[in-house]
Amino acid sequence: MAPALCANCMTERAVIKRPKNHAKLCKACFITVFEDEVHHTITSSQLFYPGEKVAIGASGGKDSTVLASVLKTLNERHGYGLELVLLSIDEGIKGYRDDSLETVKRNAVQYDMPLKVVGYDELYGWTMDQVVETIGKKGNCTYCGVFRRQALDRGAKMLGIKHVVTGHNADDVAETVLMNLLRGDLARLSRSTSIVTGDSRSEVKRSKPLKYSYEKEIVLYAHHKKLDYFSTECIYSPEAFRGSARGLIKQLERVRPTAILDIVRSGEDMARLVPGESSSSCACRGQNTGAFASAEDDIGGCGSQNGRTAGNEMAVMDKQLRDNEAHEGLETDVAKTMAESKQRGHGQQVKLGLRSENGAPHGVTRQILGNCKRCGYMSSQEICQACMLLEGLNKNRAKIQI
Amino acid sequence: MEEEKPTEGPLTKPCVKCRAQEATLESRTHAVCRNCFTKFIAGKCIKQIGLLGKETRHPQSTAGGPPNTTRRYLLGLSLGVSSTVLLHLLNENIEFQLAKGRNAPFELRVVHIDNAILHKPQTIFSPTQQALSRLVRRYPRFQFQCIPLSSVLTDLDLTSLPLPPGTSQSIRTLLTTLPTAASREDILRLLTRQALISLARTQHCQALLLGHSTTALAELTLAETAKGRGYALPWLINDGPAPSHPDDEEEEEEVVVVTNGAGNDKPSLLIYHPLRDALRKELVTYARLIDPPLTELAVTGADGHQNGAPAVVSHRDLTIEEVMDRYFAEVEENYPSVVANVARTTGKLVRAGEEARGGGEGGGERCGLCGMPLDEIGDERWRGELGLGTGIKTADGQGRLCYGCERSTAG
Repeated sequence: MAPALCANCMTERAVIKRPKNHAKLCKACFITVFEDEVHHTITSSQLFYPGEKVAIGASGGKDSTVLASVLKTLNERHGYGLELVLLSIDEGIKGYRDDSLETVKRNAVQYDMPLKVVGYDELYGWTMDQVVETIGKKGNCTYCGVFRRQALDRGAKMLGIKHVVTGHNADDVAETVLMNLLRGDLARLSRSTSIVTGDSRSEVKRSKPLKYSYEKEIVLYAHHKKLDYFSTECIYSPEAFRGSARGLIKQLERVRPTAILDIVRSGEDMARLVPGESSSSCACRGQNTGAFASAEDDIGGCGSQNGRTAGNEMAVMDKQLRDNEAHEGLETDVAKTMAESKQRGHGQQVKLGLRSENGAPHGVTRQILGNCKRCGYMSSQEICQACMLLEGLNKNRAKIQI
Repeated sequence: MEEEKPTEGPLTKPCVKCRAQEATLESRTHAVCRNCFTKFIAGKCIKQIGLLGKETRHPQSTAGGPPNTTRRYLLGLSLGVSSTVLLHLLNENIEFQLAKGRNAPFELRVVHIDNAILHKPQTIFSPTQQALSRLVRRYPRFQFQCIPLSSVLTDLDLTSLPLPPGTSQSIRTLLTTLPTAASREDILRLLTRQALISLARTQHCQALLLGHSTTALAELTLAETAKGRGYALPWLINDGPAPSHPDDEEEEEEVVVVTNGAGNDKPSLLIYHPLRDALRKELVTYARLIDPPLTELAVTGADGHQNGAPAVVSHRDLTIEEVMDRYFAEVEENYPSVVANVARTTGKLVRAGEEARGGGEGGGERCGLCGMPLDEIGDERWRGELGLGTGIKTADGQGRLCYGCERSTAG
């Protein structure tokens, strides 16, 4: 049997079966097609403006390495006029980041981009090693997680950059969509699907140009372009909901390769159906449940969820829901009954009682998103979570020094 | 199954609800007796039926006059456990009312859509026919119909579909040309649903009842999401008016009018899932507890959920529904409340395209296959994201397909 020819150029031998749609392509065509699609995403979502200074959140892993490589290529090919900078975060855990930071340093040379490594010590005055020294090994994950969520934004601010791009891919987004359906969090579902996060209020905008790229294609791209990335087993074990969603997605992808993008599409469409979030003209943003939710908290990626939950998240939530059910019989929720009868009439319901992170079912439906008084980061509280944690840490330090 | 009688002396494990009988079952972490369990399930159903009853009250009867029409509902019977349980509960409800000397609260028509369209015509000996005749004997009160899918959707517009030229424009052709089992199952389910809606309309029913359990609704939520049909989810999961059909507005004026509360008095068919608060495993238990058991009446596998875990087949032959079925069987076992929460959450989404329905400004365009409102935004952009290139297979016919149907018909 003659070898199959590339479906695109019809001349070269096809060596790649695209995970996205099973099209058979040659190496060169695959690389072009992959880049073209990212270009399509960038232009159709109008991610950048000419002359924009953009920081690439670089971990040394495959996603951010491919992102840096593709952005450099496209920037030159299509004349975006972007000023690209690599931005890495060092948590300050001895030995943990060494290898990946070395990779990023090599990338900086390979792609001829300036690299800025910001440490937790610079951003917060504390390395993780110091935090552990102060509060012990228990519970320090909370600190690391909270700090990490803001680190890229704070780092970009230090560099005077207003736009951070991250390497989140289609698999990550699809995972988040299913995960938020499973845990019943429409507000997060709505936010996590948008390609750009952070609105006019936030000083740093975040976007994910690889949002529609399959993880498998990112790996293929990195392989065929012989990119230098640091591949390691992520030490963080995914929380139960994400792990569960991830397994499900893998199975769905096997049945229908386009399923990942179909989930992303569904997620985007459903985001527009979330009451209160559907019209962009509404500035109240009534559904924001927490200070950090508005940024990037929900998308996968190494460690971003770390410390929030132990592995038994699903069991905890199940129990909590069950308790709610048990209590339901004991009280009459007048507002709910009204809302229900209204819903039956109209087929829609306007207000939502959303579950916040710590489970208060009807508590915070109308949080006004503002900025932290100390650091200016988006927060629904006067002082953001990171600054609160820092305050506690600093009090402790003062005592120790005395 | 022997009847449990109040036992003498102290119980080893009393039912937490009645305290009078031995608990033999577990219901949502409570140890309960058989009686309390069946009551619990029946209660879940009756509550929904009561809500529906209020919605379908004839407008005139609210003005004080006697109701001049009885409510008429259509039950979509898949012959799976859930819809069979629903049939049983509805029969029980009517018997209960009659025993109290009241009128029957509603008239029920039972329809099984025969969608074995790719197989040989049904004979009288087929499992489906046998199951139906068993049900006819057990529930003589109701009128049963078994209707082939193709004979319901005769006016289905297939022009928007990528059928090979020269072939007969039939549902059968459509199904045989679909590339994968996943696509066939998806389209078949859509068409079956449409057939039921269409029948409910032509038979002047006020509501279509479907047997979906909480678990089935959660599966449906995630399956439709995975098929790119997130946009249509609120129409599929929630109880409420069925999406209107363009033709209805002219033809069906004399249909019993149900005001949908939105201010316009257009006739509309309601779709209800009376078992939406019961888990599938609870319904299976319930079916076993009824005497004689309902499990003998249901055709196992008919609704695609009772397949006793077939040996691992090629992924090519798996459907998205099967993947979800397996997934949720596990979640339901360990985290039942999480399952319930999925359906509840989706219920909060707003129905898109509804404005277009009542608006009269030409209305929103609808998918030529599933009849759901088309998502106007971004289909072209998505071609780019999918790597399809532009206009590879844009149907230039009159009909357009929604994203989900396009994915399914393309494979």
